[in-house]
Amino acid sequence: MIGDVRVVADAAGGCHLFSGCGFPAPGLQNFSFKPLFSVGSFHFTKPMLIAVLCTVLVIAFFWAAFRKPKLVPRGVQNLGELGILAVRDQILRPALGRKGDVYLPFLVSLFFYIFLMNLMELIPVFEFPSMSRIGFVVPLAAMVYILYLYLGFKNQGAWGYVSNMWPRGVPWPIYIILIPVELLRFFIIQPFTLGIRLFANMFAGHLLLAIFIAATWYLASFTIGLLFAAGSAVMVLFVFLLELLVDLLQAFIFTTLTATYIASSLEAQH
Amino acid sequence: MAADVKGTGRVARPAADDAAARALGLSTGWTVFSYLIAGMAAYGLIGWGIGKAVHAAWLFPVGMMVGLAVSVGYIIYRYGRQGSLEPPDAGQGRVKGNDR
Repeated sequence: MIGDVRVVADAAGGCHLFSGCGFPAPGLQNFSFKPLFSVGSFHFTKPMLIAVLCTVLVIAFFWAAFRKPKLVPRGVQNLGELGILAVRDQILRPALGRKGDVYLPFLVSLFFYIFLMNLMELIPVFEFPSMSRIGFVVPLAAMVYILYLYLGFKNQGAWGYVSNMWPRGVPWPIYIILIPVELLRFFIIQPFTLGIRLFANMFAGHLLLAIFIAATWYLASFTIGLLFAAGSAVMVLFVFLLELLVDLLQAFIFTTLTATYIASSLEAQH
Repeated sequence: MAADVKGTGRVARPAADDAAARALGLSTGWTVFSYLIAGMAAYGLIGWGIGKAVHAAWLFPVGMMVGLAVSVGYIIYRYGRQGSLEPPDAGQGRVKGNDR
């Protein structure tokens, strides 16, 4: 948050209410970063650094937790088991049952990676959710999409998988009407909504936080604006707490939907 | 599965059932949303294509409306029945034969 204030302050350039300059409204410029370093035409930016760091952190955490597992867990193993059991009991088992335990490592990695990436928007120094850049979300959605298509074709066969989408016991003309809807929903809209939801939530949340921080900075002056600045500061705190919930919720929703999509690929649903 | 242990009239459900119901509800909610978008997009696209061929631009919004109507009808048919969102003991939403 401190860093965000610094960024806003730099952008505002000491701009306050009644000082003759307009409100330095946050916008798309808050989502663009100068390269930290470049190799040819490849530019390594802050969101990339955050993505790499989150990957390393998730791997390091679970490696530390289960490097030498004890029958009676202690320390970081306790925390690791708590995390894995939470994903298993709240996300995997409700959708896939016991047979789905084989997907536990994938879902645990997915959940904690997304959660940590989202959480980075609230951690000082980083202060940016990389998932608010669509380029970081599309590969995740594509990975899930390819996985459930692969499992569907593998378990039900190509024709079986496609034909199982249609409802049973309806007149054949209805099938003709539903074919374009079902095909578009399954092959395009479903993976699209899976990714867009995460991206849009993180984008909006970060923008909202930046707006209230900018407003607090802009309104803070020895005028009536100070009163409004205090109100805006309260909103910063509120949005901060809200974002904490949204970060967790979005990771949960993405992983839960992944589990249900895998379930529908393993077995026909009507 | 359900038990009214304290005689309060409220039926307590195991936490696992709640989680299953939540997963099913979440999945159904987004599937319904996907149907709405897909219906409008599919028939809007068909309407736009035919409209382009016969020089009738109005077929695009008409196609979208038709698609929306088809989606709503299908959603009602598929999810509108009572109990369609009840988490089953085994089956819908979970791999057949699972034992929690």
